Amino acid sequence: MDKIIIVDIEKCLACKSCEIACALAHSRSKILSEAAQESPKPQRMMAVEAAGEYGVPIQCRHCESAPCIEICPTGAIHREDEQSPVVVEADLCIGCKLCMLVCPFGVLKIGKEGRAIIKCDMCYERLKEGMVPECVEACPTGAIKLVSLEEVTKSRRKEASEQIVRESGSGKGRQGKAKRVKGGK
Amino acid sequence: MRKVVVIGGSAAGMMAAISAAVYDSNADVTVVSRDLTAYRRPGIPALVAGYISDPAGAGVFAGETLGQYKIRLICPAEVTNINVKTKTVSVQGEGKIQELGFDSAVIATGGYPIIPKIPGSEKKGVYTFTTFEGAQEIVEATREAETAVVVGAGFVALEIAESLMHKGLDVYFNVRSRILRKIVEPDVSEFLSRRFDKSGLKMLIGEAISEVGGAGSVEYVVHKSKKISTKVVIMGTGVKPSVSLAEKCGIALGSSGAIKVDNRMQTSVADIYAAGDCAESPDLGTGRFVYSPVGSIGAMAGRIAGANAAGGNEESKGFLRAQTDEILGMQIFSIGHSTTTAKEVNLAVTVRDLRAPVSGQDDRGAGSFETGKLLTDIDNRIVGAQLVSVYHGSQYAWQLYQAVLRGKDREKFLKEFNSPRRKFTETMLATAGSTISVENVGDDNALRWQNKLCQKQEQ
Repeated sequence: MDKIIIVDIEKCLACKSCEIACALAHSRSKILSEAAQESPKPQRMMAVEAAGEYGVPIQCRHCESAPCIEICPTGAIHREDEQSPVVVEADLCIGCKLCMLVCPFGVLKIGKEGRAIIKCDMCYERLKEGMVPECVEACPTGAIKLVSLEEVTKSRRKEASEQIVRESGSGKGRQGKAKRVKGGK
Repeated sequence: MRKVVVIGGSAAGMMAAISAAVYDSNADVTVVSRDLTAYRRPGIPALVAGYISDPAGAGVFAGETLGQYKIRLICPAEVTNINVKTKTVSVQGEGKIQELGFDSAVIATGGYPIIPKIPGSEKKGVYTFTTFEGAQEIVEATREAETAVVVGAGFVALEIAESLMHKGLDVYFNVRSRILRKIVEPDVSEFLSRRFDKSGLKMLIGEAISEVGGAGSVEYVVHKSKKISTKVVIMGTGVKPSVSLAEKCGIALGSSGAIKVDNRMQTSVADIYAAGDCAESPDLGTGRFVYSPVGSIGAMAGRIAGANAAGGNEESKGFLRAQTDEILGMQIFSIGHSTTTAKEVNLAVTVRDLRAPVSGQDDRGAGSFETGKLLTDIDNRIVGAQLVSVYHGSQYAWQLYQAVLRGKDREKFLKEFNSPRRKFTETMLATAGSTISVENVGDDNALRWQNKLCQKQEQ
């Protein structure tokens, strides 16, 4: 997988628009007014968790080496191909909950309907069509973003190198040098 | 073409069938099932709670999956005999009796509910819930009822009790010994009982109900000579292996009363395999064979039995039992041995309290947990772990799972034991998002299975 969902928690208002969008995307009718009447209520696959004074939207990390895939006794949790997020084949899920037990982020849960495991599928159908996941689309502040790994590492490299320059001295020449490097890309 | 017959169509049986078909795509695989459809056992509490009204909602291994692997399903039908000499099974169903020949067979007949011998337990109003029919009867019975008594000790009994509480009933929960006796330590049981009692589940502990009374149908039960009026009594007192078919055919049983198997899940008769709630399975820590009727172990054993039935040579050194559930807001994790199961395999264990690696909690209660236990053997290797938390216990549970799976040294483990969630939040605060890579946790068998399944899907 070369794309991941990242969160800029400085921008998160904890408005939970992403949760609503997620539940709606995984409802039967996909229409808000009708989905609210469904029984059981549409379930969200991600959540905005309170962490101190911040809100952190957290969804499945789709780990490269995913404990849930490795522990699943029936192969219900899997990737469809190398670019696929971690998805659940509900028909193979026996509801044993081993994946819930090993997930470091606690993002898997038992669905109210039928009791198979449900989890974030990164809106795989949308991804295939080149769209972003619903939670990303719904975020009003742009706190949740879908980015490629290359983008993340690149911006991280840039931040790190600028930090090195900042911390290694305040000489104007040095800063100028750093700027030239930046401009030279 | 190799003919494989699987007797039983639930987790273990269906996994055996799929595994056989994956192993040998030319094999002729037939499943004979008593039920119309296979379903998730955890779906039963959902039915009782009213989340689902149609058993199909909890269905698993449906037509398309079986079609994909070219598995034939005969249901509802019953295998009345296995002739081990001529290698045929007699199948009664679909209005006829037919003889099916096989090269290898897998017995996955499951278990049946134990009904404790209590005077009056045959009365109308006493229910069990290992089948959907049983669960539907409970739904009907509890529609008008105001109180219910649930008898049991395990997760499913507790889930049923919680489901009934959500429906607004007054629920009494009776355990002869203590709740979750098999999988947690006595003080953890006691802690949970106190919490559940506080949440409104009325606990009747320490003694079985002595009488189910009433004229014709249930009107009251007696516990510690106290009368409790109720019209509904639900027995969730565990399962016994269904072995009558195997026994009739001369297949040996183990000391637990379940079908005896080897590490390849083969029974005492060549080419006949067994898996799931009807059979024993090897225990990871000691390699000894025990009766462990847990869905995940059934599926893992079924996978091995099916592959071998299709001509493979797979074996398991042992399965690790790991269970989790959330009952009335308490997340409960139990991995590996408890003192109860350790005693069964003559494993000497030391139990110590496990403390959270971080102190304090954030405003959702993430951080430290309620109570935890670590069980070690004489070499100080971890053989079991238990944990109860209100929120996000899984961050610890996966570390405990690895520790038990690998039999890590206790001291070493405690040095590494940490709160990934706390770390994750700190990372989130410091940067704009992060992925975290984790150590492999699956056993080799699971990995091989994954690879095989992937190859199959690619074809």
